[in-house]
Amino acid sequence: MKYPPPPPAPTRKLRIIAQDPGVRSNGGIVTAVVDVAAETLGPGPRGYRVQIVDYDSSTHKLYQPAALPPDHDPYRDASDDALLSNPGFHAQNVYAIVMRTLARFEFALGRRVNWGFSGHQIQVAPHAFADANAFYSERDHALMFGYFPGRQGLVFSCLSHDVIAHETAHALLDGLRERYTDPSSPQQAAFHEGFSDVVALLSVFSLPGVVEAALEPKNRSRRIPREKLKPEALRETALLGLADQMGQEMSASRGDALRRSAKLRPSPDYLSSPDFQEPHLLGEVLVAAMMNAFLEVWVHRLSGLGEVAQGALDRQRVAEEGAHAANHLLTMSIRALDYCPPTDIEFRDFLSALLTADREIQPDDSKYHYRDTLLESFQDYGIRPSSKGEAGVWEPPEAALVYDRTHFESMQRDPDEVFRFIWENRAALRLCEDAYSQVQSVRPCLRLGPDGFPLRETVIEYIQMITLRADELVQMKVRAPDAMAPSAEVKLYGGGALIFDEYGRLKFHVRNSILNADRQTSRLESLWRHGYFEKGAAALSRFASLHRRRAMDLPPLRKEV
Amino acid sequence: MPKSSQPRRLTLRAYKVGFGDCFLLTFHYPSDDRHVLIDFGSTGSEDGDDLMVRVAQDIHQQCGGKIHAVVATHRHKDHINGFATRKSQDGPGDIIASCQPDVVIQPWTEDPRADPKATGPTAVSAGKKGLGAAQAFVGSLNRMHGVAEAALSEIDRLRSLGPGLTQNAFRQLSFLGEDNISNRSAVENLMKMGKHNFYVHFGSKSGLESVLPGVKTRVLGPPTIEQSATIKTQRARDEAEFWHFQAVAGELAAAGGDALFAGVPTCSHQDAPPHTRWFIERARALRGEQLLEIVRSLDKAMNNTSVILLLEAAGKKLLFPGDAQIENWSFALGKPDVQELLKGVTLYKVGHHGSLNATPKSLWELFQNKNKKPSAARLRTIVSTMAGKHGDPRRGTEVPRQKLVEALEAESDYFSTQDIKGRNKIREDFTMEL
Repeated sequence: MKYPPPPPAPTRKLRIIAQDPGVRSNGGIVTAVVDVAAETLGPGPRGYRVQIVDYDSSTHKLYQPAALPPDHDPYRDASDDALLSNPGFHAQNVYAIVMRTLARFEFALGRRVNWGFSGHQIQVAPHAFADANAFYSERDHALMFGYFPGRQGLVFSCLSHDVIAHETAHALLDGLRERYTDPSSPQQAAFHEGFSDVVALLSVFSLPGVVEAALEPKNRSRRIPREKLKPEALRETALLGLADQMGQEMSASRGDALRRSAKLRPSPDYLSSPDFQEPHLLGEVLVAAMMNAFLEVWVHRLSGLGEVAQGALDRQRVAEEGAHAANHLLTMSIRALDYCPPTDIEFRDFLSALLTADREIQPDDSKYHYRDTLLESFQDYGIRPSSKGEAGVWEPPEAALVYDRTHFESMQRDPDEVFRFIWENRAALRLCEDAYSQVQSVRPCLRLGPDGFPLRETVIEYIQMITLRADELVQMKVRAPDAMAPSAEVKLYGGGALIFDEYGRLKFHVRNSILNADRQTSRLESLWRHGYFEKGAAALSRFASLHRRRAMDLPPLRKEV
Repeated sequence: MPKSSQPRRLTLRAYKVGFGDCFLLTFHYPSDDRHVLIDFGSTGSEDGDDLMVRVAQDIHQQCGGKIHAVVATHRHKDHINGFATRKSQDGPGDIIASCQPDVVIQPWTEDPRADPKATGPTAVSAGKKGLGAAQAFVGSLNRMHGVAEAALSEIDRLRSLGPGLTQNAFRQLSFLGEDNISNRSAVENLMKMGKHNFYVHFGSKSGLESVLPGVKTRVLGPPTIEQSATIKTQRARDEAEFWHFQAVAGELAAAGGDALFAGVPTCSHQDAPPHTRWFIERARALRGEQLLEIVRSLDKAMNNTSVILLLEAAGKKLLFPGDAQIENWSFALGKPDVQELLKGVTLYKVGHHGSLNATPKSLWELFQNKNKKPSAARLRTIVSTMAGKHGDPRRGTEVPRQKLVEALEAESDYFSTQDIKGRNKIREDFTMEL
């Protein structure tokens, strides 16, 4: 009897460098085999969401596109030297990590996720230029990874898991919240950096092989004594230990998020300190709060592990628990984006979003205390939740809403239908009628809870914009910067995320009201101080220059005369 | 001080050097004249070397073969390439050197002992926070020349490949790249042409004290690493590392791609798969923008090493800030006693050829001799510049900045070297009774 062929597998396995070539175990580069969505790839590889174009603009070389066989990984058993010297593997590495990061977002959000530009396929240049830089360029639909001679040979940023995940996170965050690249408060600029670092580091720690390599790499015993598994000890081994092994050459332009997160001791004063207003530095505060929570949760998870010898735990199990903790926090962080306001985000909004997103899908947090730990860790760094509700989660809408003029089914997909709902309820939702209003996205999603039951939600994002002269701002109780000309035009933004439950009822309205005079005044003040009202300031390419500005310690865009 | 040792009059000669600076300042004493040459460089002139020689010969003639002091505010080509010598010993720098300056004044960043390869610390760099940060900073400046050279060669290649880079980006890159490459001959000549070399910083002696009796001189910039609140020790080291990697990356790019993956097959431009062509063009344009940003940054860093000099004689104050921009100025402008001093400025050499950031609003507002109506005591402003060479009007960064020129014209006796007309006329003289 002849059986039909089995259905094609939904995923394929590809080998990647687990962090970067500097992280080694037993003298060899730590690699990992990851699952990537299976697809019929063209040479490049060229897939449905990611296209590798190996063009080097510094030397004007276009490397022959690498063809990846459909049924096996040609680099599965390749030596370290072969991995480092083969641009085909570089292309595979960057393809797999970008796809993996995309898949993490899609899993966490329970739907397909767009890039931050109008297109489906992001172009990725693994050897884009000779420069110690890597960035996401929305305008060019691209991720660009540079290379340069380091202290011990060439450094390829396309071989650094954290760099790739960081830039991919920028591209995805830009797709989910396009207004987060607008000039706003220092915290909004810092959020893009901090969030991308959180995604990058938790992605790396979600690979047990990396965690295992970081845990005392010189000690090859399979056991680890319990006293080395306390938060402070793990800070030294897992965080600083890994930071020491990771390639350091890009730290001047990109910062050293892992090391800084381990060394930045809790203090409530960072957010207001003038020394921390540069986006990378301020972003590091967010990363430190998250990574400290990660250590606490990890330790908590280890408390339930059985000992393999007197006072000792199995190294592999310890690493796996760390990877689980990182994975969970990564999912929480990504999921939280749906519960963040669409404009002018601050860290405290993200904290409330984190807590709410997790509670919705996992009401019982008593086993590992993720939410308590996050709340405490963020508060240690001066970040208190925006919501005054119980345990910092967003509160349900206060006013009664009119539902009977809209249709449930259309509300799940049709921006015009949603807009009608918003317009009918503009008073209850406390919108500004004079402002231009627009529904930016309607996103039905299906998330899977730990109990196996799905959580269905529809996430809607709307924004409001109004352009006023500086002398009209007083009507909205907003104060213009002292030196601003009365006739100067000023754009104010606001907006909200509406989360509907599976019955089409509004669960949360997470918003930054355009009518919030205090917030608008402080935003204008901050923008004025940083020179964003100067001619030409808006033309600067954000992500390309942000890293470089950090390296050169340039002040914000302050211009005079 | 006896009256005979006080200057009675001064003459300032502003030379037309295209985009650059060259000023010969003469203090007339009862018994003799003392000459100070402040900068001598050009980047934008069509006459190039010939013009530099003509200017040098005129300087030689005007000062009767003796210059008392040379001030080289910073190492940009448009401020120092006139000091370059020739093997034939008839270069403009040879002519200036033949005037045997008693002192040569430069910023502390030019002190050979502050070089990372140097063994002896300077008074400036061996402060409490140690030599490291100062050396790291000077190391960054040195590496920037290499980065500028590599950027120039990369940009030439990018342009030869066809579409991608705009004319405007190319023009700006070429100009800034040229201005920032090393001027070794000029640097060496400055190092050895004077009897004494002074490497100055905010608050230090200028070196002019012995040369110009009866003239008070103050150095208002650049600040040292320790003085500057904006440059911290660790940041200086990060920055040094950044420029180091930029410099070596530039060398790698210049070597072509073979250094990267030898023997790996590549596609020719014609054979590039159609779906890659849009992206390749975008990548080239993006690289051009990146290079421009890098070169702009190093240009600015160099500008901010400029010596800022304030000279005062018989209550008349002359301010020469080189190309100092806001980051250099902010240290001095934060000091109430300096603010007080600057109120009475009589003559202002407009900073950085009239650019956006070199005349800080807080400085301009201090000048009390500004006047909308002509008067004897009205502020005199002089800019040495050439429009269309630097910056971009669409970004509001054109040099000279129109908005600034309008303010200068409205409230001061304004003169631009662009107003020196005719091929044979190379300078404009200004005199001031003291």
